[in-house]
Amino acid sequence: MSRRYRQWVKEYQHQAWSLARYLLKDAQEAEDAVQDAFVKLWNNQDKIDPERIKPWLMKVTRNGCLDRLRRRRENVEFNESHMAGESSGPMQDVAANELGGWLKRAIEGLKEPYRSLVVLRDVQQHSYEEVAGMLELSLAQVKVYLHRARKELREQLAEVRP
Amino acid sequence: MNKYDENWEQQINALLDGELGKADADDLKTAATDDRDLARAIVEAYQLQQVMDDIPVERAPASLGKRLRAIPREQRRTAGPWLFQPRWVTALAVVPLAIIALNLMQPDTPSEGEIAKARQELAIAFAYLDKAGAMTGRGIESTVGDTMSDAITGSVNRAIKLQNETYKEKEV
Repeated sequence: MSRRYRQWVKEYQHQAWSLARYLLKDAQEAEDAVQDAFVKLWNNQDKIDPERIKPWLMKVTRNGCLDRLRRRRENVEFNESHMAGESSGPMQDVAANELGGWLKRAIEGLKEPYRSLVVLRDVQQHSYEEVAGMLELSLAQVKVYLHRARKELREQLAEVRP
Repeated sequence: MNKYDENWEQQINALLDGELGKADADDLKTAATDDRDLARAIVEAYQLQQVMDDIPVERAPASLGKRLRAIPREQRRTAGPWLFQPRWVTALAVVPLAIIALNLMQPDTPSEGEIAKARQELAIAFAYLDKAGAMTGRGIESTVGDTMSDAITGSVNRAIKLQNETYKEKEV
């Protein structure tokens, strides 16, 4: 195994998995999606600019997750409405007194690309430029979409906070 | 918040991202003292940021790390022996083509026997051509000659005949 590949696994597996986990809401499927992305990384490592490995990997991980979501669209729609039902019960969440858990579910309930944006920028704290590269959006688009996503989350937070 | 909501929203985001200049930040704070909704929006944004910051980036399970580290080995196995990998197959296919191309480009050097035979065949060919040329020349000569003599004698005969007929008419 090449040393640099091992280094990539060490550095990026957690971020890739976290993103996949938020997008797919399923740990097992998130693992599969991240594995697919790393297989692509292994097979294309000579073609990728070494400086762009992380954005490339995150982009491929996200695209893989979106493909999986498309394939199970009907199921996902059902699940999302089911989860939205859960997260729209703020009292239940507040009663559980777990704001972090509530926020995670709220993020999972966001539509794309808002969800990826919030995860990449606010949870994983990548720079705006990196996020733009990962999502293939302009810097201005990233800012506008992120601002909408945050506003939506803020409004939801205002409902659950006393 | 007022009709400038969108602008304030952008300012709030910039503030949270640490991208808002001091003057703009002061303007925002001043505006917030007079605008209860704006103040509330800023507070909520901070609260959201705080909750976000408390969310740890989830660590991938150990099973994933194991799967990822196994990828190189599995990929090499599924790719088969190195000779069957696409780049090597292509390279190997190019070798015989290159050999054929080089052979075609080589100048053909005939043997002594081949040269002697070729000379002999060339001499026969020239002899044949000479003979054929002579026959053709004679044929042309005779054809042209006949045609020319026909053209001359024919016209003289016709002129004499015409003249005779004219005389006869005059006599009559």
